[in-house]
Amino acid sequence: MDLKNTAPDAESSSQKKTPAGQQKEEIGYTFCDGCNEVPFCGIKFYKKGDTVTNVESWPGFPTPALCSKGYATLQRLYNPNRLLYPMKRTNPKGSLDPGFIRISWNEAYDTIVDHLKRIREEHGPHTVFFYVGDPKEPRAAVQRLAAYYGSPNYGTESSTACWRAAHLAALLTYGFPTAGDLPTKETKVMLIWGTNPAYSGSPYMCHGELADAKERGTKFIVVDPRITPTAGTLADIHLQVRPATTAALAAGMMHVIFKEGLHDKEFCDNWIHGIEELKDYVKDFTPERTEEITWVPAEQIIAAARLYATHRPGGLKVGAQGTTHDSNATNNHRAILMVPAICGYIDIPGGIIKPSAPLEGMAPWHDGPPEFCLRETMNQMRDLRLDLKAFPAWAEKFHEVQTNYLVEWIKEGKVKAFLGWAFNVMIWPQTHEYQKAIERLEFSMAVDYFYRPWTHNYVDLVLPAAMNYERLAPFAFFKRKIFGRTPVKPLGECREDWQIALEIGARLGDQDLFFHGDVEAACNDILKMWGLSYHDLRENQQEGVLVPPTNPELFKKYELGTMRMDGKPGFPTPTGKVEALSTDLEKHGYPALPEYKEPLQTTEEFPLVLISGSRVPYITHSKWREDAPWLFELQTEPLVTINPHDAAKRHIAKGDTVILKTAYGHIHAKANPTIMVRSGVVSIMHGWAKANVNEIIPRLFDPISGFPAFKEIPCEVEKC
Amino acid sequence: MARYGIFVDLNRCTGCMTCVIACKEENLTPPKVWWERILEVESEPKNRIVYFRLSCMHCDDAPCIPACPEQAIFRNQDGIVLIDDEKCRGHGECVKACPYGVIDINPDETYFQGEKLPYESTPDPYQVHPTGKASKCTLCVHRIEQGKEPACVAACPSKVMVFGDLDDPKSPIQSKLPGSVQLLAAQNTQSKVSYKIPDDLVKEIEQKIIDNPHMDR
Repeated sequence: MDLKNTAPDAESSSQKKTPAGQQKEEIGYTFCDGCNEVPFCGIKFYKKGDTVTNVESWPGFPTPALCSKGYATLQRLYNPNRLLYPMKRTNPKGSLDPGFIRISWNEAYDTIVDHLKRIREEHGPHTVFFYVGDPKEPRAAVQRLAAYYGSPNYGTESSTACWRAAHLAALLTYGFPTAGDLPTKETKVMLIWGTNPAYSGSPYMCHGELADAKERGTKFIVVDPRITPTAGTLADIHLQVRPATTAALAAGMMHVIFKEGLHDKEFCDNWIHGIEELKDYVKDFTPERTEEITWVPAEQIIAAARLYATHRPGGLKVGAQGTTHDSNATNNHRAILMVPAICGYIDIPGGIIKPSAPLEGMAPWHDGPPEFCLRETMNQMRDLRLDLKAFPAWAEKFHEVQTNYLVEWIKEGKVKAFLGWAFNVMIWPQTHEYQKAIERLEFSMAVDYFYRPWTHNYVDLVLPAAMNYERLAPFAFFKRKIFGRTPVKPLGECREDWQIALEIGARLGDQDLFFHGDVEAACNDILKMWGLSYHDLRENQQEGVLVPPTNPELFKKYELGTMRMDGKPGFPTPTGKVEALSTDLEKHGYPALPEYKEPLQTTEEFPLVLISGSRVPYITHSKWREDAPWLFELQTEPLVTINPHDAAKRHIAKGDTVILKTAYGHIHAKANPTIMVRSGVVSIMHGWAKANVNEIIPRLFDPISGFPAFKEIPCEVEKC
Repeated sequence: MARYGIFVDLNRCTGCMTCVIACKEENLTPPKVWWERILEVESEPKNRIVYFRLSCMHCDDAPCIPACPEQAIFRNQDGIVLIDDEKCRGHGECVKACPYGVIDINPDETYFQGEKLPYESTPDPYQVHPTGKASKCTLCVHRIEQGKEPACVAACPSKVMVFGDLDDPKSPIQSKLPGSVQLLAAQNTQSKVSYKIPDDLVKEIEQKIIDNPHMDR
């Protein structure tokens, strides 16, 4: 299929009519969507007319620097293979070539709206699944659409495999979401567990700030099976842990801290629910036993525990998924969170902070502002959620539906249609089952930048999304500071994600509720909460607009009564304390302590442990690669990283084609023997269509969060 | 008159490739031509992987200059080593002479075969890379003239590099230089790029340059 043939030349770009060279250079501003954060790193760009000519980091923006992907958004913008027009399939589902042809937006919207109206009549609106993948930007607009239409079945990549399990662990344990914080001048020691901020952001390209902290004297403990650059450049102690044994290592550290009396006794006694049960539980995790389970030498466990508990205050940095891709995800992650808790490092300067004055009415864009998202309406339809039975503790905390049982729901006729923004079927383990399921739907559509066959071959409509330089929504906010952007005209007939969601909503019936499809009006509906409009953002373009705080910055808010909605002292948990023993988990019949559970056992046939999901700095998931050849040139093939000793045993040399196999399937890739992975562990980047690691991962899910076990599956590597 | 150089702190480099792509975006070099590279060295005994950026060292005694039969390579008034595209005939003697392996010959290739993207249609002079000519880092001389740092230095998220005038006692680069080393110093090139290298891995890094100058990953 040659997609470019569907685009008549006359309309391919406006630049041809007015050569860029003859125009004055102007400055513009936008955000990068290169990794999967919502508007995040700031881009200042130069343009001539509507042609972007050069990009750099936005000076003074809260995120200090772009990464390679940020610069490459320029090349992606003008990639001649971009989707520029709405398209529909002309061959029946299951055909080798779906036969996509160009259609008008009118035809696309008529098709969508006809299906939505018909399905509402025939099966009920809750049988339409709304989904937002990567980028997260359209989440607020899509939720508004789903709620208005009448479906609580809205899910995201976060509610499939990213962040929400760690988020859930934090809500169950501390009562507030946190991935930890960057070190401040007070922080004496940092515990970085299962994340590589050097490549994966969170909160952004912050490695420079971590390296500054190291130069100031902050100590670093890094827990990771791999010698990441984070471990290499920062770690005073690097614990090269066996994958999926997180809770055991945390228990081992707590064992030492309790045994040596290094814990914060006052905090433990007053503010931890289940402290005695926790102490009891970790008694068995002696350094020696913990070494057996986790492969981390006993003396390192002791040294790390001592370093962390005696250098007060300690901070924490965890990732969005590094510690939650196994069949004990939630409790593994809860165990990590208990380590700083028993040291009393919660909500003190230099420790783990619950923000004192978040922007009123707002929530991070991955959730979206509740009122705009029509969250109340969504909540009222809760009983029609598809994940209630399978994941009750989850469904109590999140409005997003855990998506991993989509295959079953489609087979059982509970889902009839799927509307996806930026969705990628390769996110799911046993991807082909999801492809087949989506193919069976009565209707499905995708919004994206490029035609991605592994997903789009299975849908009915593909709509072309405007890119970051061409989008107005959403605006960005950091703490209480708000920034807008100055888009150029989209290429072809691309429209921004928000516009597409709003226009579908408007055509479904309520023009006013969907601002007649006007994206700026939608943004203004949110900005009015702070007495602002997009005009104000443009007036203060580079420096942003500060919404003055109504609360002072406070610490130990659990003592002050400003952490809980009811104004009582304590943490926002059922017991008002940090919950080592989770009352919510107990209620639903799960293990209430952050218990260790032995992962799948390696065997003679599959003696190695496979991990995927670790970041390569110039790839995100299934994105990039050919999207921007500058980046693709850095790595054109899927690489299996394997320890040189494990490689030598198998007579595997660098560049050899190898078979990576598990009990569930096999893929081919090139071998990259490197000490980056410890012996016994094998790693591969996910998202390669020609070597989709998720095809060799079983549909094995953590019972609490439903997260897939991407980092615990026994495997073997063989030379081809 | 200045003598510009760069200090590179490998204690901070993560191999994130931002400098590599920022250079691409700034200078629009063709495929297979990297003015800025990142290589990596592993040491099993030290359990350490070190990443290092490698680019033209703008040597005070640059072997590429006398190697050129066309006298196309020169040092400007600020010590920056540059190639005159008009004079270069692509013999490739400089490529062979450079001990760091950081000079390429521009291929007849674009990133999208046969297509010029809008931002490539009206290139600035420094973004023109004639096929068959020698090609290497210019230290972003066009940016220096505007009072800016080279693109790689400005882009680095980990603040690995410090750019400055080695002859200016007030330049912030001065405080960084003690304890730093020049790579392949034995070749007496008088490189103006200095490295702070962790875990005593100088030899391993130098061997990597000799073995693998073309960013083979």
